Amino acid sequence: MAKYQVRRCDRQLEGGIHLEAFKYMSTIEACIFLKTPSILSFPLHFSGGGPGDPLVQVGDHVSQGTPIIQCSSGVIHAASRSGMVTAITDYPITHASIQTSKCIVIETAGNNIRDYLPPLDWPCEPSMIVQRAVEAGILGLGGAGFPSFKKWADGIQILIINAAECEPYLTADDTLIRIDAKSMIRGASILSQALEIPTIIIGIENNKPEALEAIETAIAESQFSCSFDIVLVENKYPSGGERQLVWLTTGVEVASGSQSIEAGILVHNPGTLTALSRAIDGKRLTDRIVTLTGDLITSPRNLIAPIGTPLLSLIRATMTDPEVLDSVTIGGPMVGYSISKYAAGITKTTNCLLARDLKRKVENPCIRCGACASVCPVALQPQQMIFALKGDSLDKALHEGLVDCIECAACNAVCPSNIPLAEWFQFGRFEQDKKDQEKNLASRARERFEKRNERLTRLAAEQEAKRKNRQGKATDALNKARQAREKIK
Amino acid sequence: MTDEITILSTGILVLTGIGLGGGALLEFASKVFHVHGNPLINSIDELLPQTQCGQCGHPGCKPYAKAIAIGEAINRCPPGGQKTVDRLAKLLGVASLPLDVDPATVVENLVAVVIEEDCIGCTKCIQACPVDAIVGAAKLMHTVITDQCTGCDLCVAPCPVDCIDMVPRPTAKDQWTPKHPGLILSDRFSQIEIHQHG
Repeated sequence: MAKYQVRRCDRQLEGGIHLEAFKYMSTIEACIFLKTPSILSFPLHFSGGGPGDPLVQVGDHVSQGTPIIQCSSGVIHAASRSGMVTAITDYPITHASIQTSKCIVIETAGNNIRDYLPPLDWPCEPSMIVQRAVEAGILGLGGAGFPSFKKWADGIQILIINAAECEPYLTADDTLIRIDAKSMIRGASILSQALEIPTIIIGIENNKPEALEAIETAIAESQFSCSFDIVLVENKYPSGGERQLVWLTTGVEVASGSQSIEAGILVHNPGTLTALSRAIDGKRLTDRIVTLTGDLITSPRNLIAPIGTPLLSLIRATMTDPEVLDSVTIGGPMVGYSISKYAAGITKTTNCLLARDLKRKVENPCIRCGACASVCPVALQPQQMIFALKGDSLDKALHEGLVDCIECAACNAVCPSNIPLAEWFQFGRFEQDKKDQEKNLASRARERFEKRNERLTRLAAEQEAKRKNRQGKATDALNKARQAREKIK
Repeated sequence: MTDEITILSTGILVLTGIGLGGGALLEFASKVFHVHGNPLINSIDELLPQTQCGQCGHPGCKPYAKAIAIGEAINRCPPGGQKTVDRLAKLLGVASLPLDVDPATVVENLVAVVIEEDCIGCTKCIQACPVDAIVGAAKLMHTVITDQCTGCDLCVAPCPVDCIDMVPRPTAKDQWTPKHPGLILSDRFSQIEIHQHG
């Protein structure tokens, strides 16, 4: 019998911004299963977990759960419905900057056959859980798509379930909790027992009473003897940022340049834990909840869709004509990116498809109002950084703390001049990464060059010494011979 | 009289003491905080691309850095490109110069690749590589450690069977870069226009 306590967060997010949430739009209609689309596509290198290799060939028949992609991090992605591999070719993908990439394209068959893993009996070895997460293709479903098992180490003190979902419009996590809080609680309990984590905290924004109730019921009915600390945080963007939520719920400030896991705090999205719970029952991660919302969507709702479903099928499922949409935003309105090729398939991290009537805004010069600095949740000076970046002075931007920017785009939202600050900061961080890589290569080359020179000088000296030694010996022998001859004389 | 001598000798002693103490302190500081090598050479070397290619006429980047420190021209590094010349000019407080080679011939970011079927195992390229990035043994096939290769192309000329090619440096398959945010809005939204016009 699990225990829980609910408390109001006593800390205030510094900076941040109160946004109109529009969450009601997609929660009026019930969440339903999407009819299996006729085509599914799985990007080889952009499915999350690093670049991948195909495990199937054109013409192969696959079931729901057949492994199709092996990633460099070890994660295995499975086919989400049964069918036949028709092509492994360049295909549109759901990505912020790349339009097409190599994908496995599957044409689905009429009747779905499922391929299960053998269920795990809990309790078992923690390594079995890790193995299972790899096989089931579990990634961080919050957005980054980082292979979750890489964070599972010994010595973790706190597990935080990040159910804040602070972006406006998004209700995918909210819906998941309402439907299946049981699995989430089970996943969290098993993970905390396997890794011997003493504390579990659920961080949730106070605008989700239904989800909170579902969590409370699930904990009350749970078989595990874990205790949960539910923290209600204020509805303020970006309280669901990893560092922000860690600070709000525990008071720990994660140091600049390090991750919360290095401070002994493990943060997971509800979807990740639900997927873990299902993986223990033998079900691979093949479906996810996607929010379809926005003014231009005729009937906004959440849909449970197979991974790889084309955006087109999702849009059609909401009675919306794709022809009327110029572009859709993938992800929330704050950190999402727009895409206009609807043939691309959803990935494990696609949580929302947003279609809004975007009014084009003209960018004006910065008027130094400082609004961006007052909303920055990391207490940076965005107006200084943007000046440095536009002036091509990356070092100055770094000095202002560019590496600590979480790209939450709160600054974009308040900028009266419509400057795309967050995009500049993302660009700057990529430039910095490129520079770091060059520098690494150069310093490695320098080291190897110097070591080689040292070795060459040493070898030359050794040879010289040997030669001298040989010469000395020869002279000695000659001298001895001479002396001997003289004696005889 | 004795008072005057005392005062005088006290003064002399105190001043001598301060002098000796100060001297000892300076000596100590010069030993402990000794800077090895010429710091200017190191900061010049820091800016050079470390390809160790010798295109500047010096046997490696450090020797060129030493030469720059005593007055050699700063525009002799083709792999570094104009970018490096500009940075050097800024560091040294001199006017920037155009690169000393035809910019069209400068190709950035290449790596050497041994065509393994053709390699006869002569070890000549191994000896030529300034950063020990080629492995192999006599009469056995050689290969390039791509991650360590600086793309200096010093191994290409010694190869008797011409089995080394310079190719663009391979990038990670899942690498991507965001679009430049400085593009004007209509360019950034070009996708939309394409969609609208068919």
